[in-house]
Formats: sequence, C-alpha cells, structure tokens
Amino acid sequence: MSLTSKFKEAMVGLKAGRVTLDYPAHPRPVPENFRGRPIFDAQKCIGCAACANNCPAREILVLDVCQEVRILKYLGRRCTYCGRCSDVCPEKAITMSHEFETATNKISDVHQRLDLFMSTCQRCGRCFKETSPLEQLKLKGYRFDDLENERWIFRSRSFLESEPLVDDIKIELD
Amino acid sequence: MNPNVIRMIAGGLANVVVVLLIAPLCEGILRKVTACLQSRRGPPLWQPYFDLLKLLGKEDIESGESPALQRFVARLALAAALTTACLVPMGFPAPMNGAGDIILLIYLLTLCGICTLLGGLAAGSTYSLLGIGREMMTMIALEPLFAIALLAGAVHAGSFRLDAVLNGSVYAVPGIPWSGLILLVVMGLSFQAFVQRVPFDISEAETEIMEGPLMEYSGPKLALFKYAQMARLVIHSALFAALFVPWGSGLPFPLGWLLFWAKVLVIVLVVTAVAATHARYRIDQALRYFAGLLVVAFAALALAGYGH
Amino acid sequence: MLRNLCQKMFGRSLWVYHANSGGCNGCDIEVLNVLTPYYDVERFGIKLVGSPRHADVMLCQGPAMRSTARALRCAYDAMPAPKLVFAIGGCACGGGIWHDSYPVLGPVEKVIPVNFYIPGCPPRPEAIIYGVAVAVGLVDKKVSPVEFKQLQMPIPRYHPSDLRGEGEMVVYEKAEKI
Repeated sequence: MSLTSKFKEAMVGLKAGRVTLDYPAHPRPVPENFRGRPIFDAQKCIGCAACANNCPAREILVLDVCQEVRILKYLGRRCTYCGRCSDVCPEKAITMSHEFETATNKISDVHQRLDLFMSTCQRCGRCFKETSPLEQLKLKGYRFDDLENERWIFRSRSFLESEPLVDDIKIELD
Repeated sequence: MNPNVIRMIAGGLANVVVVLLIAPLCEGILRKVTACLQSRRGPPLWQPYFDLLKLLGKEDIESGESPALQRFVARLALAAALTTACLVPMGFPAPMNGAGDIILLIYLLTLCGICTLLGGLAAGSTYSLLGIGREMMTMIALEPLFAIALLAGAVHAGSFRLDAVLNGSVYAVPGIPWSGLILLVVMGLSFQAFVQRVPFDISEAETEIMEGPLMEYSGPKLALFKYAQMARLVIHSALFAALFVPWGSGLPFPLGWLLFWAKVLVIVLVVTAVAATHARYRIDQALRYFAGLLVVAFAALALAGYGH
Repeated sequence: MLRNLCQKMFGRSLWVYHANSGGCNGCDIEVLNVLTPYYDVERFGIKLVGSPRHADVMLCQGPAMRSTARALRCAYDAMPAPKLVFAIGGCACGGGIWHDSYPVLGPVEKVIPVNFYIPGCPPRPEAIIYGVAVAVGLVDKKVSPVEFKQLQMPIPRYHPSDLRGEGEMVVYEKAEKI
C-alpha cells in the first residue's frame, strides 16, 4: 500500500478531465447499423404476416376482420429489437430505425397498428386452395389473434383436450 | 442575568447555527471533489441541502424492533453533535468556556458514536446488529486516540480548561515538541476514521456492502442521522485545526475567522482526496492498524509526561 | 410552506434502489453503466442506496417470477411514500422473451404498480437517462401510438366459430396466453 500509487491514481483521474457526456442537452449520434425501434411502413406492407410468424417474443398480432381487411398490431413491450421481422419482410416494409428514446408512462404508447386492405382473388374471391396436404399445412389462411386481450391464438388440426393441463398458479401477495 | 452567562449562551447558539449552515456545504464540496478526481461531473454543490429537504418530506415508516427508541436516538444523534459544537472554538474562543472542559468534550464525542450503536440496536435486524458490532470494535480502538491527544495537551498546559488546551498546547514545550509531532502524525493517520469516510467507514456508511445500522430508518429520522454525520465532519475538522494547527488564531476578527475556515476547508479537501483514492479496510485490518497507532500514542503521552 | 419546498426537492435528489427479480442481468449492466463517469447520472442528484427504506425510486428489471414475487412486493411496501417504480427492459415491461415459461408470472406490473416503462433489450444507458429525465420533467416523451387505416367503413366482424363449415375437422383450438 504505497502512497505514490494513490497519487498516480488521483493524477490519472484529474488528467482525464471530465469525460461525462452532456446527454439530455446534446443528443448523441448512434452507430450506423444500430437497431432501434422497428417502424412499420403501411404503404409497402402486403399483409403476409411473415413478421408475426418470426417474432421470437410474439409481439406482432394479426387479425383477419373479414376477407378484405387484415389488422396487424405491433406491441412494443417485449420487443428485443432483434431485427428478424425486418430481415424476413419480403417488401422491406419494416426498418429498424435509430430511435431508442422510448420511455413512457403508458405502455400503449409504443403500439403500432395497421389496418390493411387485402385484395381478393379475381376468380373466386378467396385465397386459392392447395390440393396437396403438405402444402395445405403451410397455408396459414385466416388469423384471429385476440387484439383486446393481446393474445396469440393457434389453430391446428390435432385431437387434444381443450382444458389446460395445468391450472393457473395462484400466489398470495399479502 | 449575568452578562457572562448571556454571552456564553449567545456564543453557543451562534456556533450551532454556523455548523447547521456550513455542514451540508462541506459534504457537497466533498462529493464534488470526489467526482472531479473520478473524472466526472458530479452533483451540484448544494446537493446535500436538497437531499435533506427531500428526506424531511418523506413518509415516516415505523418499523424495526422498538420505534420509540428509534425516534429518541435520531434526535439524540443530532443533539449530541450540536452540543459538541458549542464547545469547539470556531474562529473565536470556545463559547461555553466556563461551562465545560475537555473531559466533557471527550464524553460528548463518545456519545456521538454511541448514538450509532443505539440506532442499530433499536432497528434490530441482522444487518444492523452486524454493523453495530463492527462500530463497537472500531470505537474501542479509536476514541482513546483523540483522548490521548487532548490529555497530552492538558499535561503541557497544566489545566483542563478548553481555552488553555485547544490552543496548540501540544506544542507548548521548550525545545522540539516531540510528543506534539508524534501525536500530529498519529491523528493525521487516523482522522478518516473519526469522520467516517473511506478507508475506515466500516460501520455506518457501509451501504454498499451491507446496509448497516441505518438500514431501518426512513424519511425525517434518516435526515437527522445524515445531518449528524455531516456536522461531525465539520466539528472534527475544527477540533483538529484548533489543536494541531493553531497558528494565526490570534488575529483580529475578520482575518482570524476566515483563516480558521480556510484551515477547515483544507482539512476537508485532504479527507476527500484520501477517501477518493483508497479502498475500504476490513475490520480486522483496521483493528490491527489502530492497535499499532495506540501503542505509538501511549509512547507519546509518556514523553509528554516527561516534559518533551 | 416547508412541505411545498420538500415536494419540489423530490425531483432533484432521487435515491434509487435496484431490484432484479429474475432477469438475465443485461439491464443490470446497463443500469451500472449509467452510474459510471461516462454517463454520470449523479449530476442529477441520483444516488444508489442499498436499502429500500432509504430509496425513492425502485428500478425493476427482470420479469416477475414465482419465486421472487413476494420479495418484490415486500421491497415495494418497504419504500416510504412518495415513491416511483420504473420498469426497465423488455422483461419488466411485458414479460420478456420468456413470457410463456413456467416460472414467469408476467410483467412486473402484475405484482407492483409501475409508473414508467423503459422498453429495450437491454435499453441503452442513454435511454435510461432519457426515461429518468422524462420522469423528472426535464424533457417530453417522444413516442405515441401509431394507427394506419386503409379502410374506414364499418366492416362486419366474423367470429371464428362462424367460419367453420360442417364437414371440417377442427377440434383443437389452443389459446396461448401472452
């Protein structure tokens, strides 16, 4: 424990001056490939729901109101900013912007909702039907996620019980 | 009433008011200089005033083992610190000169330490009891050091009166004042522990390691404890300046008073510089350190008895 | 008058208690970054304290888990009023990327009331400072909900059970809780 090492420590600290960023006063530039909040461009979106299928946190919900209208809703609460939605979008309608200042006191402020018009097939008015069962598995068809309660709803063709196997766990918080 | 008594009481009150106003500013200087040494901007100088005002406005939660004792101890802590302020010369001779001597001063300083012990005991949680155990060990090793310094001064001056002792009396021998210089070095090496800063803030400010005795205090009671801590910084620096750095205290009013506060400021800056560059000691390392210093201090007291 | 002064001083000296109730520690490290000299947050008067009884603001990160729900609630109840709760990171705001896992109860707001959300995974230190500045009132918030409608007429809403034909073999519909 020598005294000279303490002097050197103090000198190093003083020589560096003040390294503090003056943050809220001066905005700070971000690196080039920074992934901030995803912005959905409604003009380019075709409503394929590829982003919704690929989101690891299941933050994008899709609801087919009727044949012509599909609602796509991005809830930003759990978004990990991974960028998979923008990577997989075929029309490049999602861009990971450079915005990171997303603090708010109501979490519904980060929602983005798109009501899209889906044009129908000119012959039958409906999406075409595949003949092969393997191809039928790939067609997602109508989606009806629950927008009010913000839940995903699966629909599959298997024989399983409809009751949940495990009840909801109740914790007493007194 | 006797004009002397009125003068004593007015002087005491003036000291108390000055300590109340200056103590948070000294703490603010300490935090700002620590920030400069760590190359960052740090809080504004008035930050401890904001802290104390905010704490006074919070809700007072009664918790811990005995809330009545908690309330009493919080008030006792600040009261003990401010009573000590009445006995300390701050640019003027000590106000309550005829009302106390250095024995009372030693006991009041120990009372400030005991308030921490009682505070932790009143809270009663595991971390508090651990904190006060360490504080007890530190106090046993530490309070004798200051008492020995004051006693050496009393031996040289030949009396226990405050104005005789707190006047640089440790140096008042013909020839080279060996005991005075040895005691200056000893007190300088252990001063950080009296004001409870790193490297010796083992018990009270140990919020980073454990919560310590102050864990269960919230709101106004915590404000009183923090104020007492800040006041102890100023009072100990003033005592150190009056005892060991007395030159220039005989100057007339504005110069002598300003010189005194300049000395206190220099001591606070030295405390800050040491606190910003050191790490905290463990309790066994600190006790070994103080034991060594105690041996040296006793040797200095023996030398003082022989007239050196 | 003293009470008004004390309330005005609340925004200028916030003491922070950090509570991690089961997260991955990514947001922990970002909160630690905020306290370093580069992003120094002590210039706003914010100090990290070790006991919830000394604190004004609780920084929660990590989702509310079955095992730590009670501890989180106790820490919240131990803080003296007035108090604020910040939920930092995607896990605290909405359950995180493991929202459907077995020990996770959900976002932190299922256990304690939250005042401010700072989403991100993990949020940048600047984003955390921005959130604190919004709470204190220095800056305005920058996000607001976005809605884009391509059709504005009343559209009939079809219930899923109306869309099933008679011969179709749809037996299992699993509702996934988010």
